[in-house]
Amino acid sequence: MPSLCRIKASGLKLQLCTNETQATREDFVRKLRGLGFDISVSEVTAPAPAACHLLRERGLRPHLLVHHDLVPEFAEIDKTNPNCVVLGDAAENFTYANLNEAFRLLIGMEKPVLISLGKGRYYKETDGLKLDVGAYMKALEYACDVQAEVVGKPAKSFFESALAELGVPPEQAIMIGDDIVSDVGGAQKCGMRALQVRTGKYR
Amino acid sequence: MSVRRALKAVLVDLNGTLHVEDSAIPGAQEALRRLRSAPLTVRFVTNTTKESKRDLLERLTGLGFDIAEHEIFTSLTAARNLLEQQQVRPLLLVDDRALPDFAGIGTDNPNAVVVGLAPEHFHYEMMNRAFRLILEGAPLIAIHKARYFKKKDGLCLGPGPFVTGLEYATDTKATVVGKPEKTFFLEALRGTGCAPEEAVMIGDDCRDDVGGAQQAGMRGILVRTGKYRPADEDKINPAPYLTCENFPEAVEHILKQML
Repeated sequence: MPSLCRIKASGLKLQLCTNETQATREDFVRKLRGLGFDISVSEVTAPAPAACHLLRERGLRPHLLVHHDLVPEFAEIDKTNPNCVVLGDAAENFTYANLNEAFRLLIGMEKPVLISLGKGRYYKETDGLKLDVGAYMKALEYACDVQAEVVGKPAKSFFESALAELGVPPEQAIMIGDDIVSDVGGAQKCGMRALQVRTGKYR
Repeated sequence: MSVRRALKAVLVDLNGTLHVEDSAIPGAQEALRRLRSAPLTVRFVTNTTKESKRDLLERLTGLGFDIAEHEIFTSLTAARNLLEQQQVRPLLLVDDRALPDFAGIGTDNPNAVVVGLAPEHFHYEMMNRAFRLILEGAPLIAIHKARYFKKKDGLCLGPGPFVTGLEYATDTKATVVGKPEKTFFLEALRGTGCAPEEAVMIGDDCRDDVGGAQQAGMRGILVRTGKYRPADEDKINPAPYLTCENFPEAVEHILKQML
């Protein structure tokens, strides 16, 4: 905990870049504050708000296959007569029936649009490693012969929006993360430096 | 022109070639009897993930075909053989109706994963179980990788997407055992004492039956029944050894020109 304070105290700007899609930013911040971290919602860059921005920009109305707790992030979005599918880390919501529903919608679209909030392979929970959204993104890509658009790490636009929030160019920023592809790889491709930590999902 | 070895074995696809669902192709039963009068080993091959050999046998004999259980080779049999060869204990994500074909294979403390068409097993908890086993080194065996299939109420996800997801998450490649994999055809011939060059495959699926068989070194006869659509024969390279109307015609050709 002192580490985060030390970063802020040193005058360095801080932004949390997370692919968390099992909760809203508010819930996420609440959880971290409960653990003793001093952060606010504006210091968090997360995929759902970025996806909403993209949906509004392109006039897309999503069918959501996401975690229950993420749905509030899409409250202001028109979800009637969907013309795209938004996939998040849905965990127990990744049932055959739900995936089939998303598949049928996609395969029925003249131009199938699949938006994936991240493309991670797996993540670590207290009770072991679990499949992440990336595995299901690949499943639907294969089923529909379509390429998903990734919102969230390691997409370049995601890091760029975090940097824009801080008003800092990539050369003056460093990313710290446990995921070699999403955190380290993605950040370095933007021109940032990156630090790999051997915690979490690191193997 | 290369010297052709004598024909010793004939592989016959089932659905679309000998019968279409519950109707036999006209004249097929008699054609099979004529085929058996020649000095040839006959095998019946199919990609199925939920019909055991017994189910298939029942349907075929019910339609008047003279077939023995040991002559049937399915993608489930191919999976079983692979498990026995590798001496592994599988987590079986297969339809309950397919389980009889795995009788006798130990499944306690699994160290392999077999994926067939099994929607009832494709929920998050089971997928995670499979994922963790594969991450620990368990081989992933796919009965086949169909993207989807047609049901009365619409299209449904096949096993392919789930296998692809597991491959991605674990950064491994599944061993696919069904048609059109080369190993499927080689396995079907194992035990007949015949080499691929001494065998011919008859089927209605140009890519999976004929293409797959020819890639394995066999000759392939495409029949214009079942799922055949005009110009299918132009879709593979090399083209089928022969394209003809149906199974009875294929048998005539074999008896007159290939022995």
